[in-house]
Amino acid sequence: MIKFDHVGLRYGVGPEVLSDINFILEPGSFHFLTGPSGSGKTSLMNLMFLGRRPTRGLISMFDHNINDLEREKLAPIRRRIGVVFQEFRLLPHLSSFDNVALPLRILGRPEREIRNNVNELLEWVGLGDYKNALPQTLSGGQQQRVAIARAVIARPKLLLADEPTGNLDDEIGFRLMNLFEQLNRMGTTIVIATHSQQIIDKFGHPRMILEAGTLKIEAPKNWIQKKIQGVF
Amino acid sequence: MMAFFKAEKKLGVSDGKRRYDLPLNKDSGTGFLVLLIGLMTFLALMTLLGSFLLSAVSNRWESGLENKATIEIPAENPDGSLRNKKTISDLSQKVALILKQRGSTHDIKILSGSDIQNLVSPWLGSDVNLAEVTLPGLISVSLTDSTPVLIADIQQDIEKIAANIHIDTHQAWLSDILRFTSALQFATLTISLIIGLTTATAIAGAIKSRIAIHKKDVELLHLMGASDSYISRQFQRHAFILSFQGALGGTLAGFLALGLIRLIGGVSAQGLLPDLVPGLFHIVLLALLPVLVCAIAVMAARHTVLRALSVMP
Repeated sequence: MIKFDHVGLRYGVGPEVLSDINFILEPGSFHFLTGPSGSGKTSLMNLMFLGRRPTRGLISMFDHNINDLEREKLAPIRRRIGVVFQEFRLLPHLSSFDNVALPLRILGRPEREIRNNVNELLEWVGLGDYKNALPQTLSGGQQQRVAIARAVIARPKLLLADEPTGNLDDEIGFRLMNLFEQLNRMGTTIVIATHSQQIIDKFGHPRMILEAGTLKIEAPKNWIQKKIQGVF
Repeated sequence: MMAFFKAEKKLGVSDGKRRYDLPLNKDSGTGFLVLLIGLMTFLALMTLLGSFLLSAVSNRWESGLENKATIEIPAENPDGSLRNKKTISDLSQKVALILKQRGSTHDIKILSGSDIQNLVSPWLGSDVNLAEVTLPGLISVSLTDSTPVLIADIQQDIEKIAANIHIDTHQAWLSDILRFTSALQFATLTISLIIGLTTATAIAGAIKSRIAIHKKDVELLHLMGASDSYISRQFQRHAFILSFQGALGGTLAGFLALGLIRLIGGVSAQGLLPDLVPGLFHIVLLALLPVLVCAIAVMAARHTVLRALSVMP
């Protein structure tokens, strides 16, 4: 479970970019994070993947109070989070294969397991023929798929994706959204920052709406209906 | 503790062929660093060699002159008149007899006229006809010990034969020489320490610049959950490879220079100085210098990386 309790964030002595953020993400939940540019989506994502500590409020992740945790104890928590960065952040000197393999190597998995899993996933995202290619030789869409593959390869407990389908055509975009759905069904909590109303409408998950640094959560009617049906 | 090292070793290192996550081996300036480490190793090797040589010199002198004394029968009488050679020879025999009778002495040797001429000829030059000069008599003697009481006792005995005969234990100049060589040894070890610190500082600086170059990649690894040790190991491995190359080159160059010095310097004919080739123990110590340099490099890299990472959230 991920819990933000009256969380605020400011950079230096500037104004708060996020103020009084409160939410709980249950394990296995799926949310879209939306909001206009400059509303603080990236800052919120930053807090969620532990790229920053909040200036006020409490963050709890996987039963750990992040505020009180020593920095060396944050690494194991980060290893349970997969992130797709908006600008991909692939390592330019590593091939697609090695970029995707990185989280498994950090986890110390055996090379045989790494080879099998990475090859399978690269085939699945349509990059089987590009596993030895360096990122700069790939198109924006291909780079994005490598970044997504890297984020999901270690089956994270929490997946954060910043505009993961932004550079992709509809077919590949929907295919990757289906991958996220599959991961979600296997128990991964997912938060996707997106501007695509088409994707939000099609997949119908609750929305975390950020406006001027404050957050509200809205669930579509059909999602609520499904949940109610699930209860009975 | 063992469990920690086991986990540390396993974490982030694949079973197969290991590669860098960071392209450190492709950075510019690696050649310069290798050269710098090589030069530092060469200097350290030469300095340590100097220290070993000084140690051998002082040991040789100290052990060679331990419990040794020389008794001088001056060429002049106490009133200033010259003694003839026969008188000096007779006095020498008397002194030797007294020394034999009193005990606590052995290996009593009266130096022959030619021995004494050989000793003084380097100072007087070849133009002087030493056969015509009255030279003092010298008796070399080994003592059971060189306590001041024993020396004073012997002095008292030999003074009975002639007032100006005296015993010299070499301690006065030997202690000066030993103090001087000790000071030089201290200086060489200090220089070695400074070389070690300079090497560590140069490596730390190079690692710092590489962290700055790859800051975004390091941050990414950090955000992906790589432990500080995982990231540090990348830099440590890099520092190890560079320092090993440099140190090996520097050590080989050092041994080559040692061979040349020996070739030019030759072997000390008088046995006053030790051989310029160090003993096996010292050669092994010098050959282990690359290991020490690598250890310094790895520790400097680790310390630098961990410090840089400590400011990340």
